[in-house]
Amino acid sequence: MLDPSVLHHLSEAAVAIELETPDMTLNIGPQHPSTHGVLRLVAKVDGEQVYDVQPVIGYMHRGYEKISEVRTYPQIITLINRIEWVSGYANEIPFLVAVERIMGLEVPERAQYIRLILTELTRLSSHLMFMGSYPLELGASTPLMFALRERERVLDLIEGVTGGRFHPNFNRIGGVKPAAGAGPSQKKLVQDLPKGFLEDTRDAMDRVLSTSDELEDLIAGNEVLLARTKGVGILPPEVAMAYGVTGPNLRASGVDFDLRKRSDYLPYDQLDFKTAVTETGDCWDRWWVRLVEIRESARMIKQAVDQIPSGPLQAKVPRVIKVPKGEIYVRAENPKGEMGYHVISEGGQVPYRVKIRSASFNNISILPHILERILIPDIVAIMGSLDFVLGDVDR
Amino acid sequence: MTNSRLESIEDFAASVAEAVGATSHSSDLGTVKVKVERERWVEAVTAARDIALLPLFSWLSAVDWTNDVAVGDPPAEEVEERYEVMCAVSNVTDGQIVVLSTDLPKDDASIDSVVGVYPGANWHEREAAEMFEIDFIGHPNLIKLYLTSDFVGHPLKKSYALISREVKPWPGTVDVEDMPESASSDAPSFENPDA
Amino acid sequence: MSDLLSNFWILLAIKLVAIAALVPVSALVIGTAELKISAHMQSRIGPYFAGGRFGWAQLIADGIKFFQKEDIIPEDADRQVFRWAPALVLLSTVALFVVIPFSPTLIVRDLDLGVFYVLAISSISTIGVLMAGWSSANKYSLMGGLRAAGQLIAYELPLVLAVVGVVIQAGTMSMVGIVEAQASFEVFGTIAVPYVAVQFVGFLVFMTAALAELSRIPFDLPVAESELVMGFVTEYTGFRFLFFFLGEYASMFSMSAIAATLFLGGYHFPGLDPAIWGPVVLVAKIFFLAFLMIWFRWTFPRLREDQLQTFAWKWLIPVSLANIAVTGVFKVVF
Repeated sequence: MLDPSVLHHLSEAAVAIELETPDMTLNIGPQHPSTHGVLRLVAKVDGEQVYDVQPVIGYMHRGYEKISEVRTYPQIITLINRIEWVSGYANEIPFLVAVERIMGLEVPERAQYIRLILTELTRLSSHLMFMGSYPLELGASTPLMFALRERERVLDLIEGVTGGRFHPNFNRIGGVKPAAGAGPSQKKLVQDLPKGFLEDTRDAMDRVLSTSDELEDLIAGNEVLLARTKGVGILPPEVAMAYGVTGPNLRASGVDFDLRKRSDYLPYDQLDFKTAVTETGDCWDRWWVRLVEIRESARMIKQAVDQIPSGPLQAKVPRVIKVPKGEIYVRAENPKGEMGYHVISEGGQVPYRVKIRSASFNNISILPHILERILIPDIVAIMGSLDFVLGDVDR
Repeated sequence: MTNSRLESIEDFAASVAEAVGATSHSSDLGTVKVKVERERWVEAVTAARDIALLPLFSWLSAVDWTNDVAVGDPPAEEVEERYEVMCAVSNVTDGQIVVLSTDLPKDDASIDSVVGVYPGANWHEREAAEMFEIDFIGHPNLIKLYLTSDFVGHPLKKSYALISREVKPWPGTVDVEDMPESASSDAPSFENPDA
Repeated sequence: MSDLLSNFWILLAIKLVAIAALVPVSALVIGTAELKISAHMQSRIGPYFAGGRFGWAQLIADGIKFFQKEDIIPEDADRQVFRWAPALVLLSTVALFVVIPFSPTLIVRDLDLGVFYVLAISSISTIGVLMAGWSSANKYSLMGGLRAAGQLIAYELPLVLAVVGVVIQAGTMSMVGIVEAQASFEVFGTIAVPYVAVQFVGFLVFMTAALAELSRIPFDLPVAESELVMGFVTEYTGFRFLFFFLGEYASMFSMSAIAATLFLGGYHFPGLDPAIWGPVVLVAKIFFLAFLMIWFRWTFPRLREDQLQTFAWKWLIPVSLANIAVTGVFKVVF
């Protein structure tokens, strides 16, 4: 028998007590419009009320940890930027930093700045995707078009530098890709940032900033959207930390934890930026934190473009990369949260073990906890607000 | 990374090691790693959360230490055959992260579950269990996470061969891309294009 | 000629053909308008190539495509119910066109209880939706059908209550009678004003409830794509799906026509002879209302089931009851 005090909607308690209705098991996914790919949820529902949700994952498990044991370090870089395809570039950074630290390489500052700019551009691309897809899941399709229009500009910038839009594969151990068409047979054309990149970036960031205002008008002023997100899916900070939820989701719960401030994997200490923190930890706060992060990232990119020093793009690296014996864990603030690699090298060209700690995996392990005693539409609202990517969950 | 930072990490490692009752600790390459005894695993993880004040659970996984590998390169030196279970927890004030580690013998690969301490370890332990055949005693729902329920084998064990590598052997260094000119002493320097 | 028209059966045949042509044409026009307007609201171009210019033939091409598709009926479906559900939905829409007055004489049947007929017939489509949801043997469809039923019960009341104000004011339930009452309704001076001027609350309630009846955003819970895949139409393919599609846009047209007739003066516009300009005036008003619906659709997210019910029972129904009371008092006093 149900205890009426635990139901959100007391009007339903009376009905539930009078007639015992069997629960229906609703299988959501793995092919479903709102599961971002191939997540499957097995939900116990009674009418619109959801009692229990069990996520089933693994439909996209590609075994990167195992494959990494038979790939050389430069080859692994190609693999790992497919882990989370919305922000592929940012996945590479912690792995590179890990390998460079074991090897004792000093990455030139210009390369570090290029990495930083590209990482933040990736963050913009990921967050803009969220800005578009989240309202879409709640039924509003117009913000999607607005956000993707700006994301296109950001992807154009990434493409201008790296030649790729999603999986640039632009990083090299010890720096960034210095030459076009590098290979033994071709004459090397030395390549740096494309002409006009810095000016284009400034313009694009101004556009992103004005679009973020537009999105705020469109979404934050929308009563229906506020009603759908405020007070829905509240995630208390202690629960979030115990489950390892990181990134914007953790900051929305009121924990001021941003690895860009707390770690030194890229020269973020040279830039002036704020971390976005809100108090409640509901879906609305998670949306808001990402909007503020879009603005902060755009400002950071403008600063970095102004500060970028001249210099080489590559540290001195041996022809064949052999990494000395060592064990290191390096993590970075990915757009989705903490992305880290625990690299164990036994010397040689291939790592002995690479543990990939991906943000979305921990972020959605909260789902059984947070999706209890809600209504079916809230499943979509809460799941969307966690902003996960299935490749990042399944690895 | 400056020397003072390294020293403070060393101090931090020592303080955490004391809090959790570690047998040894290290902070090589800035990664704080403390080793605890297998019997005291849950106690140590609880102490890490409550005494060393590391509330943010990061990850839990394992390493298969063996001299006889089916894939990849074997360890550089002879190692003791064992599983190493690692659990990384972090604080949220200054971004320090600690990797707690313990060893399991291969013939008795079981350890107490820490789901009661950090509920986020649930999925991580399920993953480690299916990948390494480690039994997490007291885990509420130790079923396979990624793999299908009829999957045979434990893929992250070093004895688990990769079929593709059996079919097409390790090509050696041929597909390793040549590093470009910058490897030599006259590394080119770049100006901002329109600065 | 007039002999021919006075023959009941020939006249009936002509009327049937006219409506059979009007329903799909109106659906296509509104559908194309939705495609183009939504595109421009989202800084897109929308249909462009079909038909040579402006993509005007896009939906005709879509329709032809649907006819080519396989008609799939799920194994476990209740086949008869599954087959008839789309027809019932379209039927209720077609039946609505019977009482829409395009001019004082251009109306299929000016029923004495025209308003009553409209309210009764428009709810039949929900039975079709419920049939579709039940017979599909799909949990998503079932939930979509049940949501549609819950929505109907909640929003039929404010719809009826909003119309009561107009009926009190006009003193008749005939659609033509209501338009004529508006044509002679003068508040200040000599220009006839439509009822929206005095029944503004009723108009808002009617339009909101009409959106819910039509299952359009923000009330599109029965088909809520991100939650229920496609709700009650999940299992439908080919021309049966097309029936739902036609039904949706044709009822957008007919609901707008009814709102225009009840609140915006129907075919009447000051200074224009209704016998000649009536259809043009009415269609212009219909498109204005349809544009509002399209505008809502591309601006708002959808509500949650409990919010939807709360909105109907706690806001719309009390407001429309108050509206009736005020209208009644004014009618008696003045």
